[in-house]
Amino acid sequence: MPMSNNKTLIIIAREYVTRVRKKSFIILTILMPILIAALIALPALLVLRSEQKQHTRVLVVDDTEIFINGFENNDNVTYSYASGNIEQLKQDAFDSEQYDCVFHILDNSAGLRSNLYYKKHIPSNLQSRLEGQMDEIFFNRMLMDSLHIEPDRFAKLQELTKSSVTTIQVDDQGVERENIAEMNEVIGMVCGFFIYFIIIIFASQVLRGVLEEKTNRIVEVLISSVKPMQLLTGKIVGIALVGITQFLIWGVLTFGLVSVAGLFVKGDILPAEVTEMAAEGGTMGAVPGTEISIFQQISDFFPFSFTQLILSFLFFFVVGYLIYATLYAATGSVIDNESDSQQYTLPVTIPLMLAIILIPSIATNPSGQLAFWFSMIPLTSPIIMMVRLPAGVPLWQLLTSMGVAVLFLLFCIWFAAKIYRVGILMYGKKPSWREILRWLREA
Amino acid sequence: MNIIEVHEVTKRYSNHLALDRVSLSVREGVIFGLLGPNGAGKTTLIRILNQITFPDSGIVYFKGHPLKEDDVRQIGYLPEERGLYKKMKAGEQAIYLAQLKGIDRDTAFKRLREKFRQYDILDWWNRPIEELSKGMQQKVQFITTILHKPSFLILDEPFSGFDPINTNLLKEEILNLKKEGATIILSTHNMASVEEICDEIALINQSRKILEGNLYDIKTQFKKNIFSLELKEENAGVTQLLNEHFELLESTALPHSIQYRIHIPDGKRANDLIAAVMQHADILSFNEILPSMNEIFIEQVETFNQAHAHEQQ
Repeated sequence: MPMSNNKTLIIIAREYVTRVRKKSFIILTILMPILIAALIALPALLVLRSEQKQHTRVLVVDDTEIFINGFENNDNVTYSYASGNIEQLKQDAFDSEQYDCVFHILDNSAGLRSNLYYKKHIPSNLQSRLEGQMDEIFFNRMLMDSLHIEPDRFAKLQELTKSSVTTIQVDDQGVERENIAEMNEVIGMVCGFFIYFIIIIFASQVLRGVLEEKTNRIVEVLISSVKPMQLLTGKIVGIALVGITQFLIWGVLTFGLVSVAGLFVKGDILPAEVTEMAAEGGTMGAVPGTEISIFQQISDFFPFSFTQLILSFLFFFVVGYLIYATLYAATGSVIDNESDSQQYTLPVTIPLMLAIILIPSIATNPSGQLAFWFSMIPLTSPIIMMVRLPAGVPLWQLLTSMGVAVLFLLFCIWFAAKIYRVGILMYGKKPSWREILRWLREA
Repeated sequence: MNIIEVHEVTKRYSNHLALDRVSLSVREGVIFGLLGPNGAGKTTLIRILNQITFPDSGIVYFKGHPLKEDDVRQIGYLPEERGLYKKMKAGEQAIYLAQLKGIDRDTAFKRLREKFRQYDILDWWNRPIEELSKGMQQKVQFITTILHKPSFLILDEPFSGFDPINTNLLKEEILNLKKEGATIILSTHNMASVEEICDEIALINQSRKILEGNLYDIKTQFKKNIFSLELKEENAGVTQLLNEHFELLESTALPHSIQYRIHIPDGKRANDLIAAVMQHADILSFNEILPSMNEIFIEQVETFNQAHAHEQQ
C-alpha cells in the first residue's frame, strides 16, 4: 500500500532528523574521530620525540677485556671503549658531556659484575639491552675459544644456524597462508567490540525511543494514524540510519585526521612502532593504529578474504542490531516508567555482557568449543563470530551461524510485534512475565 | 443516516470481558455522549472505532461500509492518555502528526499557521513542547486532532487539563465543528458538559450498553413527576395543601420568593396542583424538574450492578 509505505517513510524521517540534529549527536560525531586520531597520533609523536632526542652514547670501561668492541652500535646507542681509572674516566665523561653514561665491567673472580653510571637519564631498555648483549658476547667468546674457530668463520656459522619460525595456516581447501596469530586476535577483537558498541549505543536507543513515546502518552495518538508495526519499523530503521551516518562520518573524519597526522609525523616510524605496540598491547587505545598501518598488507595475512570479512561484518552489524533493536523495543513497550526498566532490560543485556566478557578468551582460542557454541547462539553470535572470523572459520560454520541468526531475527520480529502491540497501550501497571506470555498466545 | 453502527461487538481480554455484544449507532451530525463508569469498556470501544484494537466478534460500519484502514483519514481522535514529544518544536510536531494523517506538508503548514493564530499560540510555533503551559499543549493537541478536517471526531475526556476559560473555548469549538457538519463522540465524566452539548448518549456499564438514545427522551423517560413551584412569599395554606394532597419534598426560601419541590403522585395531574394553589397565592413560576444526567447515570449504574450481582449469585 503506497499510503502505508509513505507513512513509514515519514516516521523514519522524523526519527532520523530529530536525532541527527541533537547537540549530543553532533558533539559525539566530531569529538570521536579527534579522540581516535589523538590516540593514534599521540604515542607516535611521543615515540618520534624520544627517537630524536635519545641518542645514547655509552663509554664502556671493560676491565675484563672480553667485551671490547663487542657491543653492536645502532640508531639509538653508540658504544665507545676506554680503559684506565674508572673514577677519572667517569668524571671526564660527564664533565665534557661527551658521553651519557659510563658502563664499567669489573674484573672479578666471583663472577661478571658491572655498573652503569649515568647523570641525566637513560633509555628504559638500555639495562636489559646491555645484559642481553653481554650474555651473547660472553657465550660466543666461550664457544669460539673451546671450538678454536676464527672469528670470521664463527660469524658465518652463526648466520647459517640462525633459527626463525614462520606460522602457516592451512584452510579447508588446503591453501596455505603465512599468518600472524597476534594480528588475527587484534582484528577479531576490534570487530567484536565494534559490533558490541553498535548494539549498545543504537539498539538501546530503540528502547529509549519506545519508552519515550509510551511515557509521553503520544503513542495512542500515533497509532490512531499508523499501524504499530509501521511505527516500530520507522523507529528501528530511522535509528539504524543515524548509526550508519555516524559511522560514515567517523570513518571519513578519522581517516582524514590520521592522514594529516601521518603527514605531520612522516617517515615510517609511525606505522612500525605503533603496529608493534598494538600487537603487543592489544589494548583498545592502540588498536585503531593497527588498522591503518597494516591496511595494505592486511589481505595477505588473512586466511579469510578481506571482502568476505567486510561482508560478514555488514551482515552481523545489520542482523545483530535488528535482533537487539526488536528485543529492546518489546522491552520498552512493557515498561511504564524509566525506573522499572532495569528489571526488564536485564534478560536482554545479559547475553551482551556475556559476549563482551568472552571476547578476549575467544580471540586467543578462536576455534575452541567455547568459541564454536557462542558463535552459533544467535544472541552472542554477531559479536563472537566476528571475533573468530579473522583467524579463519570453516564456511559451514559461518553459514550456519548466519542462518541461525536470521531465523532467530524472524522469531524476534514476531515476538516483538506481539508484545509491542499490546504493551504500548498498557498504562500504569507492570505486567508480570506470565501476563506477557499470555499476550504472545493471544494477540 | 448513521455515520457509525456498532453491531454486537464483543472483545475479550485474557482475564476479563471488555465488551459484551455491544451495539449502538451514531447519527450523522450529532454530538454523542459515551458515558460509563471507569473500566466499563468505553476506552476499548473507542480503540475499536479507531482500529487500534479489533473486536473478537461483531462488526463496525463506518458510513455504511465495514470500517477499513483508510478511514482513519476521516477520523479525528483525542485519546484520554495523550501527549506530545516534549523536545520537539510545537509547529514541527503538529506538521508531523498531520502528515501521518495523510495531509501533505505544505497544506499542513498553511492550515496549522492559521489554527495556531486562531488559538493564540502562534508565538510558540518554534518552541519545544516542554516550554509550553499545559493549556497551550492541550491546544496544540486539539488542533492536531481536527486539522485533517475529520467528519467524525472521537474526544475522550477532552476537557481535562483545561481551565474554565479554555473549557468554554473548547466547547464552542466542538459546537462549531458540529455546525460545520462533523459528528462527534464525546466520552466524559463531566455530566454538566454532557447536558450542555450532547444530543444523544449511550451508557456503558460492565461491558454492556445499558442505555441509549436522545438526551431529552432519556431524561423524560426517567422523570419522576417532580415539579418546582415558586411563590412570592411563604403561604401556610399552600404548605398545608401540598402536604395533604401531594408530596412536599423541600421548601427553600429565596431572597424575594419561596420555592417548593413537589412530587405529584400517580393519578394526580400538574393542573390539579396549579388549580389548587391558585386559590391561595400568586404563582411566580411552575415547571417540571427532569432528572439530571448525573442522577440518571448513578441510578442506572447502581440498579444494573445490583441486578447483575443477583445474576451472579
